[in-house]
Amino acid sequence: MSVAWVGSQAVPLSDAIQHAAKLLASSRCPVISFDADVHGTRSVIALAEKLGAAYDHVRGRELLNEIALFTQYGGMFTTPGEVRRRADLIVVIGDIPASHHDMILSWASAPADLTGKQSRSWFHLKANRPSGDTGMNKHALKVGAVSLSAEGASLGAAVALLRAGLAGKRTAIPLANLDSLKTALADAEFPVFVFSGNPEEPTSLAMLQGLVSDLNRSKRASSLFLPSDDAAWGAVLTSVWMTGFPPRTGFPNGAPVYDPQRWDIQRMLREKEADLHLWISASDGASLSKRGKIPLVALARTRNPVRSAAVTICVAAPGIDHDSVIYSSRIGTFRAERASAPSDMPEIAGVIRQLSEALPC
Amino acid sequence: MLIRLTGGEIIDPVNGQSGKRDLWIQDGFIVDKPEGERADKTYDLSGCIVMAGAIDIHSHIGGGNVNTARLLLPEQHAAHLPRPADTPLSNAGWSTFTTGCLYAQMGFTTVVEPAMSPYNALHTHLELADIPIIDKATLTILGNDDFLLSLIRDKTSSDMMDDYVAWTLASTHSLGVKVINAGAAAAFKENVRAFSFDDVVPAYGVSSRKIVKTLQASVNRLGVPHPLHVHANNLGIAGSADTASVTIDATEGVPLHLAHLQFYGYGTEGKRKFSSEAARLAEQVNNNPDVTIDVGQVMFGQTVTISSDITRQFLAIGNANPKKTVIIDGDGNGGGIVPYRYKKNFYGSLQWAVGLELFLLIDDPWRVFFTTDHPNGAPFTSYPELFELLMSRDARDAKTAELNASALELTTLGSLRREYTLDEIAIMTRAAPARLLGLKDRGHLGSGAIADIAVYRRGRDIAGMFREAALVFKNGELVVENGKVVHLRWGKALRLKPTPDKAMVRRMQAYHEERYGLSLDWFTFPDSAIQRDEPFAEVSCSS
Ligand SMILES: [Zn+2]
Repeated sequence: MSVAWVGSQAVPLSDAIQHAAKLLASSRCPVISFDADVHGTRSVIALAEKLGAAYDHVRGRELLNEIALFTQYGGMFTTPGEVRRRADLIVVIGDIPASHHDMILSWASAPADLTGKQSRSWFHLKANRPSGDTGMNKHALKVGAVSLSAEGASLGAAVALLRAGLAGKRTAIPLANLDSLKTALADAEFPVFVFSGNPEEPTSLAMLQGLVSDLNRSKRASSLFLPSDDAAWGAVLTSVWMTGFPPRTGFPNGAPVYDPQRWDIQRMLREKEADLHLWISASDGASLSKRGKIPLVALARTRNPVRSAAVTICVAAPGIDHDSVIYSSRIGTFRAERASAPSDMPEIAGVIRQLSEALPC
Repeated sequence: MLIRLTGGEIIDPVNGQSGKRDLWIQDGFIVDKPEGERADKTYDLSGCIVMAGAIDIHSHIGGGNVNTARLLLPEQHAAHLPRPADTPLSNAGWSTFTTGCLYAQMGFTTVVEPAMSPYNALHTHLELADIPIIDKATLTILGNDDFLLSLIRDKTSSDMMDDYVAWTLASTHSLGVKVINAGAAAAFKENVRAFSFDDVVPAYGVSSRKIVKTLQASVNRLGVPHPLHVHANNLGIAGSADTASVTIDATEGVPLHLAHLQFYGYGTEGKRKFSSEAARLAEQVNNNPDVTIDVGQVMFGQTVTISSDITRQFLAIGNANPKKTVIIDGDGNGGGIVPYRYKKNFYGSLQWAVGLELFLLIDDPWRVFFTTDHPNGAPFTSYPELFELLMSRDARDAKTAELNASALELTTLGSLRREYTLDEIAIMTRAAPARLLGLKDRGHLGSGAIADIAVYRRGRDIAGMFREAALVFKNGELVVENGKVVHLRWGKALRLKPTPDKAMVRRMQAYHEERYGLSLDWFTFPDSAIQRDEPFAEVSCSS
């Protein structure tokens, strides 16, 4: 079975690597979009450094707001284990990505064994303006969450109303059920606000942290950050230790430069700043199409050449085809994961290493 | 390959008098002069001094909190490109790559990350594996975790305690145990915001003292070479000298290491109720052979404090500069990241002087260790300047003139004329750390030692001498020449690897399934997860 193509022509893997290396070496401004486990990410960043390329996660746009919370503001955070064992009041903020729902639901059936409480109370702060529902609304009903929302308010606006309301300020629009949250907070040993990126409203995450900080003036409270995508957050952390910076980082003069605007890869492709796009992802259903006239080298989990790619190389999915190390929100850190269906498809890190060795420099 | 180093002045207090002799290196080790063989390569080290590679016992170089600090402060890293001299933090090697290179350039070849949270072990080891050149090791944090506190509360047998500590060491691949503000983080969860040595964690009815004594005894019984590494209560606050003092008194004939004592060297005298108690503490250390300390020297400029002492970091939020912080209020210890700028004002000057007083008043260089608690007191890149302050009273006098006079009046620093000798430096930064950590294969230049060697060009500029080593060998490979990295290699993480008790493994399995709803393999990892050839090397326990 073929694992490598030049254009639509199946070729041996080594030929495809040689061809891709040639394209990379002759590129003036290569850009890399990737989605990989820790070791894949490590290899991608090492390659970017060698090429002087810019890199971003394929879900870089969703990451922007999550990264900015840390680079610009900070906050108070807890861990999923601590939520399970101690949180007697859980406030879910908006629509949490579906990948986290199992964990959230598991808290409903597990005792918070380190508190004196028999049960947890639940609240759900909802955007009133329509937004995509990942199923969180249904789950919130299932765990008996009291709904907090305000007429016409976006999630960001609702967070602001919540903070103001809890601080005892009068707000123009009332937040439904605020009083019952106040009562629950007064009684709670460890309230936790569970949140994700909310990319449309950059300031809402800092606003939520302001709220948590307000509560900490009198007693313990925290927040649980559930990234929009676990693998992407793992790539952020890996990038941070390798270069000092989160993604949207480039190596224009050898040293890493972090700049979320400058290294916006979609923009660079659109404006033809980039002259070669290396796209790497083994995720199933990852959408990929060549952008404009910029040549594309694609590493994807595919049995067919990617349409209009100059080179396609099939790569294995971490955790499925091979053992991997990934970030997991179940434990709030990295986890070594066994392959669920081992295969001999080439690993991203291996292909990237061969690519790197095939470069002339 | 046989390498000969000739003409240099060998400073190797473990193996006798300093003086000129040849050193021979073969297959990564220091060897006796092989009879009848000629060196493949000879280095003329005339005008140079030669020491074993330096060992840093306490430097926060990797793991969750360090990485969060990087994420919080990208500007501190970016700022260094145009103006390196102005931003010491950014010189500190903010990435794993630069960390290894900058340490190696100063002749350091082994560095201990002293605060690994058990559940962050994989993350920490992934980062350490990406630090080039040097060897690394970790200390695992215990003492605020529910499992240990429950064992103590339930008066469990010491065997069971030892099994738990051994399991933790094994599953986190570490070299020793650290306790950080014992009990305070657990009490923090019940809204306790001040916690001293004889205070009790309400939910468990266990005192800080009891936690420290329990872990100290367990570490000792298990034959872990490094004594329990204690970050005491009340770090940084006026009057903390009393806490340090009772902690030192609690050694009771068993070894104990007290981390960054400078941060506890404060009394409550003077107009500002903030004064130096360094002389008192130094005397107490001098009189208690069971205690070792590292200093945690403060140097001036921008840095960031990274600590698993959540109580301390929570209380320090208001001092953040720039104004952004991260507090992790999670399982076990948690922690916090608070950026900070040490200024040459009253407080900064006093802290600086307290550290130097401890260095100069503790007589035995085998029991006082050279640290800035990187990056808490200062980034490790300030080490060369600190060596100079210790070795030159002129340098101290010159610096003193820039500082706050009323602070210095509350210290004994002006009266201290001691200057560290090169032999004392070699003990404090090489021989003693190796002995304290149980690393028999390094810290000296005797035959059989790993060829970790630092060569410095002797000169009047002491800081310059230590900033850019003339040559550095790691495992016999030349890695630094004239202060520049010339060869990259991957070091190892040193670990103890005790065999965990089978009943304890079953118990941990049940505990994690019941309490976290996850099987134990979510919290442990095989060596292969690091994806480097032989990422670890074993150190043996002493019993
Ligand atoms: Zn420390």
